[in-house]
Amino acid sequence: MKKRLVSVLLAGVMALSLAACGETAAPAAPAEPAPAAEPAPAAEPAPAETKEEAPAAEETTVDANEEITLNMWCIATESDSNRHSYEAAIADMAANHPEVTLNWEAFENQSYKTKIKAAVAADEMPDIFFTWSCAFLGDFVDAGKVYCLDDAYKNYASELPEVMLGNTTYGGKHYGVPLTMNIVGLFANMELLKEVGYDEVPGTYEDFIKCCDALKAKNIIPFGCAGKETWCVTEYLESVIEKSVGADALNDIFLGRATWNNAEVGAAVDEFQKLVNNGYFDPAGAGLTNDEVKANFMAGKYAFYMNGTWNCADFAANDEFKDKVKVSEFPVINADKAKLGQLIGGPSDTLAVAASSPNAEKAADYTFELGKLICHYGYLDGCGLPAWTPYGDTSNINPLTQAVSEICANADSYVLFGDTAMSAEDATTYLSYVDQVYGCAVDGTQFIEGLASDIR
Amino acid sequence: MSDKKKTKTVDFDTTYAPKKTNPAVKVIITIILIIWTVINLFPIYFMFTFSLKSNKEIFGTNIAGLPQEWLWSNYSRAMGTGNMGLYFLNSIIVTGASIIISLVAAMMATYAITRIKWRGSKLTNAFFMLGLTIPIQASIVPVYVVLSRLHWLNKYSTLIVPYSAFALSMAILICTGFMVEIPFDLDEAARIDGCGLWRTFFEIIIPLMKPAYATIGIYSFLQCWNEFMFANVFISDSAHRTMPVGIQQLSGSYTTDWGPIGAALVIATFPTLLIYVILCRRIQESFIAGAVKG
Amino acid sequence: MAEQVRVKNAPSAIKRKRDLILGINIFLFLLPALFLFISILIAPIIVSVYRSFQDWNGMSEGVFVGLKNYRKLFSNSVTLNFVVALKNSLILAFFSVFVQLPMSLGLALILGRKPKGERFYLTVFFMPVLISTVVIGQLWLKIYNPDYGLLNSFLRMINLETWTHIWVSDPKTALGSIIVPTIWQYVGYHMLLMYAGVKGVSPDLREAAMLDGATPGQVDWYVVIPIIKPIIRVSVIFAVTGSLKAYDLVYILTGGGPQKLTEVPSTLLQEQLFLANKYGMGSAISVMLIVLCFAFSLLITAVFREKDN
Repeated sequence: MKKRLVSVLLAGVMALSLAACGETAAPAAPAEPAPAAEPAPAAEPAPAETKEEAPAAEETTVDANEEITLNMWCIATESDSNRHSYEAAIADMAANHPEVTLNWEAFENQSYKTKIKAAVAADEMPDIFFTWSCAFLGDFVDAGKVYCLDDAYKNYASELPEVMLGNTTYGGKHYGVPLTMNIVGLFANMELLKEVGYDEVPGTYEDFIKCCDALKAKNIIPFGCAGKETWCVTEYLESVIEKSVGADALNDIFLGRATWNNAEVGAAVDEFQKLVNNGYFDPAGAGLTNDEVKANFMAGKYAFYMNGTWNCADFAANDEFKDKVKVSEFPVINADKAKLGQLIGGPSDTLAVAASSPNAEKAADYTFELGKLICHYGYLDGCGLPAWTPYGDTSNINPLTQAVSEICANADSYVLFGDTAMSAEDATTYLSYVDQVYGCAVDGTQFIEGLASDIR
Repeated sequence: MSDKKKTKTVDFDTTYAPKKTNPAVKVIITIILIIWTVINLFPIYFMFTFSLKSNKEIFGTNIAGLPQEWLWSNYSRAMGTGNMGLYFLNSIIVTGASIIISLVAAMMATYAITRIKWRGSKLTNAFFMLGLTIPIQASIVPVYVVLSRLHWLNKYSTLIVPYSAFALSMAILICTGFMVEIPFDLDEAARIDGCGLWRTFFEIIIPLMKPAYATIGIYSFLQCWNEFMFANVFISDSAHRTMPVGIQQLSGSYTTDWGPIGAALVIATFPTLLIYVILCRRIQESFIAGAVKG
Repeated sequence: MAEQVRVKNAPSAIKRKRDLILGINIFLFLLPALFLFISILIAPIIVSVYRSFQDWNGMSEGVFVGLKNYRKLFSNSVTLNFVVALKNSLILAFFSVFVQLPMSLGLALILGRKPKGERFYLTVFFMPVLISTVVIGQLWLKIYNPDYGLLNSFLRMINLETWTHIWVSDPKTALGSIIVPTIWQYVGYHMLLMYAGVKGVSPDLREAAMLDGATPGQVDWYVVIPIIKPIIRVSVIFAVTGSLKAYDLVYILTGGGPQKLTEVPSTLLQEQLFLANKYGMGSAISVMLIVLCFAFSLLITAVFREKDN
């Protein structure tokens, strides 16, 4: 059953052209036949060790025993749900490659953005670094600071479908090793929904609004959203826009192919503000961080929480909470333009190698192997869906992540998170406007007109 | 503070009898003082108590009372995963070294400015005083670019050098205040005895400037101990992280768990406060001396 | 530096040689300080000025754009509202000068009258100065927490539920919630400075005034305050430039939000540099900061001199 599901998922993903952000729009279709056909790669029970030493050994026979030290920066801090997958992957790597000493440091998400940019500007990058795909990495690639991974990729092409590299391909060259992919999910506390008579997450928008009203009437706050971290607001706003104007229209705007000045987007923003003004959002959320909001959601303070599916791991790990929570897709607002299966997300978490690294070639191979393991453990932990072809026993994956797999299996198209899709400068502008929208300081019209004039 | 030449510094024991203050005024004054004392101490007390509580207690009814159950494990978490011990040590190393460097540089510069007669000494002094108003943020980018080109990030000296530079102006200002009070006859006498500039500096000025050290130390301490922006940007490995950044990092990872954050805050604060309380008289006198000289 | 060094001109070669040696010595004495000062402060500022005329993302080559960065600073924009940031730091400066300093002065004068427990109060009032700003920020975040914070809990306890706020992110209270801890932290600093001045007033002067029949209040007003004016001036300069430089508490408490209403120049600077990769714009902000700090220092000095005349 599980096997089939994964195959379906992969087939689905492969068939889609994931929005690519390099100059080359979509990568060439992968040469191999779609894996759905035959014993899915997932079936191979290949243990990590035997499998991956092969290519690595070939590659580095000449000086395999030369000891090198690699430095890595990432954001898997103690409290990050990915922490365990990094630790497990790095432990495996240490066993497989005793000749490589990996020094790694984890930084808090927000300050990491500052740090890595400053380090790139100053040519002080670590050998391997965590990055977000698309524009975030693109800025570094444009500046010539990132090592091209094309040569190393050849050894892993069979395990890492090329379609997954769309977001890290610039000018036809690959620069990043994707880890997991995530989408925005609508998490619901079913216990609270039951109190207002809903056994399922409402499937239509009208019903959804009715549900929110009913919750409000019972003094249950429908949505929790961290106003202190604007990206949390985008998780809501982008879903509302996408389900109003359709994935293609939003994607074109994010990637600069169409203007922001789109009246339908403006109307969608107004729709979002209606949700805010109706009091569906926790007013205290404006002063909280995402971790606090998430804790509130798990404590039963909110009925819904829209956020990345990386949260599945934490929700599933909480014994009290795991049976109450369900994940689903945001309902369609305008059925003429949008439909179910249009999702926000895609492979974004990426590892890249610095061009300045003295051991760039070895680091590249190391990064692929490490990325594969992180992806593997991250998937098992429920931190997201795998960008790499899954292997090993995946039957124990938590039901939430499985539900996400199912959503993705039926996906029609993906639009990458706006702040990842845009360049740093544009993303800052975009986030300031989103912040203004959430505070109702600007309305939909001002939003689209402002962005149209301020972004390029 | 050595008391050799204390006559001119402020003396706490100067007495003047306040003549028959109105008793009502006295009561009001006492009330004001007590209220302000409470306002000053209560947050510190609050910090201490929540560092020992579980979330259940804090989020329940007992937000400001003494902990019902004293959770010392919060401290082991702050010291363990939070690494507060190391960060505290780093802060001491960085602050200590910055104080010493700025002190030495300031002493030498002030000597050249105040005790050697040459054209341009006034101008040089004014030049250094520019630093009093320059915000530390202003130089962060260029300094960062230069330091990183020199591969000079992630060392203690990455912070020590900028901190010393930014503490320098204040140190020179205070030094000048102290140094002009040393009688110039002493230099003259030394010169007649055949002492050169350097010997005069080392054998006469340095010993006589002892009272200034504490004062400069305190002002530099306040500047370096708190610094957050440089420390956040220039140091990326946890081995050299200073306390302010460490606390910010820790509170990022324990946002919803107040106890360990409280414990980290206490660890960062109480040693300083303890030393202050023990040495408060001397610290205050030195601080005051700075105000009078500067 | 050495060219400037010239001791009274004397024609003899010996004298000239001696001058040279003296000059070298002076230079050597100044060297460590000059090295630190020029390499960390002066040179970077010159570079900043240069960069502020560029459009530069920190990675590729910068492009000269003339005054564009500065013009953009003063045009109203959702992304970069320098005018609001500046206004906020001036509000902060206003409260520092007209609320914090009078409190400091009042406490200094009270303690100058030698009340019982003078030393205890002095010690306690100075304590917040020694606490790291990050600690103070985190501590006040807990005080302000909308759900479990000390402040809202207290208001609920005394049945003032309606007074509770989401302090740090309500547009009405956000700036205030930054101002309060800032004032709280530094009252003691200025108090001790002024206390030093108050204690420096010679007892004879007070005696004389008292003998003339002045009340203690009049003595403070007419005798003490004029004498400690130089210290007050220094305090005002520190308070104003400190407000212009404000960063840590804003960053920790509100992060500039909600909707950028509590942004100050330094948080904008950090954002432009490290989030938006706009190093040219960041440099322009830092140049503005330096200019403003100098302008205000000169202005304050001038105001105090004016008053003297």
